[in-house]
Order: sequence, then structure tokens, then C-alpha cells
Amino acid sequence: MRTLLRGHAATVLVAALAAGFGVTLLGLIRILVIATEAAIAGAALDQAPLVLVIVAYVFLAIAIYVAAIVTTNTVATIVAGRVREIALVRLLGASAARERARLAKEGLTAGAVGAVIGVAASWALLAAFVLVGEATTLLPPGQTYAFLVPDMVVPIVAVVLTTWLAAWVGSRRVLGVTPIEALGAAVPSDAAHPAGSRARATLAAVLGGGGALLLALGALLGQASPLGVFVGIAGGITSFTGLMIGAPFVIPALLALVGRALGRDAAAVLGVRNALRHPDRSARAAIALVIGVSLVTMFVVAGMTANAIMYQRMEDHWGTTAPLDPAFAMAMGVLGILVGFSAVIAAVGLVNTLTVGVLQRTREFGLVRALGLSRGQLRRTISVEAVQLAVTAILVGFAVGIAYGWAGAEAMFGSFQVFGPVPPVIPWWLVAGIVGVAALLALVGSLVPARRALRIVPVEALAAE
Amino acid sequence: MQTKPSDLGLVARVTELTKTYGTGGAAVTALDGISLGIRRGEFTAIMGPSGSGKSTLMHIMAGLDAPTAGRVWIGDEEITALNDRELTVVRRRRVGFVFQAFNLVPTLDVEANVTFPFELDGRRPNTTERAWIDSLIDSLGLRNRLRHRPSELSGGQQQRVAIARALGSRPALVFADEPTGNLDSRTSREVLALLAAAAADYGQGIVMVTHDPFAASHADRVILMNDGRVAADEGRLTASAASELVLSLASDEAAAR
Repeated sequence: MRTLLRGHAATVLVAALAAGFGVTLLGLIRILVIATEAAIAGAALDQAPLVLVIVAYVFLAIAIYVAAIVTTNTVATIVAGRVREIALVRLLGASAARERARLAKEGLTAGAVGAVIGVAASWALLAAFVLVGEATTLLPPGQTYAFLVPDMVVPIVAVVLTTWLAAWVGSRRVLGVTPIEALGAAVPSDAAHPAGSRARATLAAVLGGGGALLLALGALLGQASPLGVFVGIAGGITSFTGLMIGAPFVIPALLALVGRALGRDAAAVLGVRNALRHPDRSARAAIALVIGVSLVTMFVVAGMTANAIMYQRMEDHWGTTAPLDPAFAMAMGVLGILVGFSAVIAAVGLVNTLTVGVLQRTREFGLVRALGLSRGQLRRTISVEAVQLAVTAILVGFAVGIAYGWAGAEAMFGSFQVFGPVPPVIPWWLVAGIVGVAALLALVGSLVPARRALRIVPVEALAAE
Repeated sequence: MQTKPSDLGLVARVTELTKTYGTGGAAVTALDGISLGIRRGEFTAIMGPSGSGKSTLMHIMAGLDAPTAGRVWIGDEEITALNDRELTVVRRRRVGFVFQAFNLVPTLDVEANVTFPFELDGRRPNTTERAWIDSLIDSLGLRNRLRHRPSELSGGQQQRVAIARALGSRPALVFADEPTGNLDSRTSREVLALLAAAAADYGQGIVMVTHDPFAASHADRVILMNDGRVAADEGRLTASAASELVLSLASDEAAAR
């Protein structure tokens, strides 16, 4: 088991988070149903309200999707680190397909182990919640809060299967490893070009541009009828698909832009250049976080903007200035956190990408240390890389989320406006939260890999094969 | 008054250098009380079988590793007592490196690799330094490769870039660790001629660690190491003489048995 899970710690953690998240959501809904029945005499809910279940599954699907992107990246990184080993077994006669299947199997195992851990943690959490809830009478007493539901199989199976699939997709590079790479030059060959073609770039541009136009059209139609939201949703999905497909082209360019702002000294340049060295990897690591951040921002901005539109209307009708309902803001916050869980998964992936990147550059760090890079400079190299990746992903997610949220609110509620379109409402706590997350990510993303990197002894690194 | 290494025409010097790995019964002595000086403008080859201590000696002389006992100077500066930060600066400013492989920073182009030691110091080469680097780039035939990445260069070209970088900051000393280990014979000859010319024409002190008697035959001085000690210290040798010198160790051992 230990050898089978070698290098898959991030995959296990990500699978545990996704499965645990899904099971926790379903368990909470069950507890809520029991509590409601107990609180309102005669209410025989038995089944959870459909809308709650749908929302839970949407959140789960987003979390699993982000987890799959992260795992694809983790496995691709593992393959890059094992090229010589794979080449050696190829040299000794193993087929590429067999090696790839082996990696996929490792992914399956990691997914299963992670799911078990996640479910166990989730059940413990739910049980603790029930205990605390009963003790504080938050949950009506005298009930048996049996939160286990058969549906919990769904997140477990879904997580295991998607982890397997993601490992399969991520291990594609195995097919390109030639036996000769086991011998010869110790210099790892760098994939200089993104795994993309002109066709891919064109598709991304068409979907992105077309989707953005549709989104704008939706917002415009929304000024006349709430049905504009359907055009808006179509535009949102299309343009986001375009962004995902185009990520290997767009993200590296943005990374370069943000990187330039971080400094021109040797240490900074080493860090900035590295993120651009594997455009696919950097793009995937960033895009996973973009999804989480943009969804949170979209929900919050859409909700708050819609809220502003409705209050404006009430003021106009009744002439009173109604204060912003704090309960509504809180509900938006909770919703944001639930949606944002995928951002936690993406963050795990980001830190893992950075850490493994450091491990795989042991010789390179040994070389630059020998040539005169001080420990302080090495620390700077690594933090520049982390800051660059975290800041780029969060800025993109934030900008995209504001655009989507505002367009969504205008598409759905535009026709209720009294004085024409309102500007997007961006609450200060959202900005504070985003800045906090960015700072935390950049910090963790530099400290964890830096601890490894500073342990590198130049002499040993240069001798290492 | 103490004699400074430079008074003796030395660019590097070690005295009573000892290095042991591990402790107690498992202790291995890599260097066993070596004293040695490297002269300005001298191309020195250090030969010896694997485990003879030649790499350890080079690492300690270059400030990459610390000795167990003994003293080390680069120029007139004793580096034995320096901390990691100070050693880093010494390597950056006073030592050049050419390794066997993985010599260049993969993410930087040729020009950025050559000026990397300056960049680490947070400065651009001044006019004199720039002219020197330009002349190196021209004489090494790298002029039309300046924008290339290391992965786009042949092994010989990569080695020439490493030499340009090692000489660019005019360090007191250049260390070359098996610089021809990965090269074909024609490219090896070129690289060795370049190192020899750097010593003869620019007065550069060069220490080259090598297994290869042919490589050693380009040096002004050949030091043979065995069991952490200097077994022989010769002047210029032909390849066959260098080869015999190494083989003499084997026959000595056979005789000792």
C-alpha cells in the first residue's frame, strides 16, 4: 500500500475532501429534515426538499470536478518526476500501456483510500454536530438524528471513479517516455510548448468570445424580461468552457504579466520563469483555483446586486429607505462558503504543484546555490512563484466572477430596475476574504516548498542523478 | 607577519586539510591532511580513482563543503570560518564552475546564463566587464545563440556557455568537474583547449577534476590523489604518461597485497 500510494498524498487528501464534503452535505440535509419534522408538529417531510438536494449535488459536482483537475495535475507531475524510472522499466521490456495502467491503478487506490478517510471524518463531524446541537438545543431534543442515508454512496463512488479517470488522463505523458531516457543526459527535457494546437486556441477564442457576447445579450434582454437569465446562463457556461480550453494559452500570459510586477532580480526571475516552464501544469493549477474563486464571487455579487435592485424598487414604491437585510448577507456568505469549498481543494492542488516542483528541481537548486544564490534569495525565488500563481488565479477568478455575477443579476432582475442598470455590488467582506485567501495561499505555498528547498545541500544535489 | 597566499603567487591554498564522513567505526576519511597551492595562470588537473577524494577536495576548495580540519584560502581570504551567506558570496564573486552536466539554468537563455553571477549580485556588468563578456561570447562562438535555451543547444555548446559564465566574472579560480565527461572527443579537445587558453592568455587559475588521462594531458600540472592524499604532483604530462601514473597506483596496490 505504501509504495502504491507513493507521491499520491495530495490525491488522497483531495479525494477525502471531495467525498467528505458530499457526505457531510447529505448528512446535514437529513439532520435538517428530522429537525424540521420535530419542530413543526404535523410536518411529515420524510423526504428532503428537492431543491436542497439539487443544490447539494450541484455543489458536490463542482467540488468533484475541481478535484479531478487537481488530481490530473498531481498525476502529471508524478509522471514528470518518474520519467527515468518509467524509461528504465520500458528499457527492460515493459509496455507503455502497462505503465500507464499502473499509474491509473495507483490513482484508483488513492481515490478509494481518500474516500474512506473523507467519509469517516465526515461521519465523525456529523455525529459531533448532532451531539453539540442536542446539547445546545439548536436541534430539537427527543429525536434520533440518524444522518446516514443511502445517497451517501453517490459521492463516494463518484469520487473514486473520477479520481481513477483523472489519474488516467494525467498519466498520458507516460506514452511519450522513450526507453532511451533511462540512459543518456541527466537533464530533464522540458516540454516547451503547451499541449495545444491552433485548433484548440481557435475553439477557445470562439467559445470565450461568443459566450461573452451571449452573456452581455442576456443582461440586455434582462432589462425587459427575467427570461434573459436563460440566455445569460448559456453565455456563462459557453464562455467559461472557452476559458477552460484556452487556459494553457491565457494563463501563462497572465502569469508572465503578474510575474513582471514581482521583480526583475535574479531570484525573482528564476521563480517567475519556472511557472512558465510547464504551461499546462501551471494553467491547470491556476484554473482549479479560478473556478472556486469565480463561483464564490459570482454567487455573492449576483445575490448582493439583485438585493440592491430589489431594495431600490421598494424605496421607489414606498418611499422608505430599507436597510440591507443582514440575514440575507449572511445567507450569501454561507452559500459562498459552500460553493467555495472547491477553492479549498484547488488550494491543496496549488501547494502540491509548488512543492513537487521544488523536489523535482533539486539539481537545479543545487546548481544555482553553487553559483552563488543565497538561502535568502532561494526563499525569494520560491515565494515569487507561489505569489505569482496564487495572485494570478485569484485575480482572474475575481474579475470573471464579478462579470458573471453582475450579468446574472441584470439578466434576471434587470426588468425590476427603476433607474436603469445598477453597478455590481461587491461587499467589502468578499474583498477582504479574497485578499485573505490570496495571502494565506501565497504564504503556505511558499513556506511548505521552501522548507524542502532550504534543506538542499549543493554538493549532494549536484551529485544526485 | 604571516605570509599571504598571494605573496607566493597562489590564487588558492589549503593546509592540513582533513575531511571525514561519519563517526566512530563507520568513519570514512575522504581527505587525509592535504596541503596544496594553486598558482595564478596555472591549469591544474586533479586525477585519481573513484573515492580518492578528488571531488571532495574540489568542493572544499570551492566553498561548497566544509572541512573537518585544516584551512582554506581563496586569494588572500580565508574561507574556512565563513558562514553560509558569506560563502555564497565568495562563490558568486570569486569562483567559476563548469560541471560535467546540468551546468546551465534551464529557464534562462544563453546570455542570461552567462551573466547569471552578476544578476545574483544584483547588478549589471559594467563597461569593462561587458566588453570582456562580449569577447568571450565571440571567441566561444556563441554570438548567434544568445537567445537560445540550454535545451536547444548541443552538449558542446552547453559546455562553452558554462565556460563563458565561469570566466565572465573573472573569478580568482575556475573549478571544472569532469568538464568533458559527456562530450565526444572532438568537442572535448575544443573545451580543453579553451580552458588551457583561459589559463595561459588571461592568467586564470583553473582546477580540473578528471578521470581522463587525455584531458589531464592539456594541463600544466597533474596532481594524482589516492586515499585522500597527494600521491604525485607532476608538471605537464602526455596522455600516456598520465595514464601510466594512474595505473601505477593499481600496480602499487597489487604489490602491497
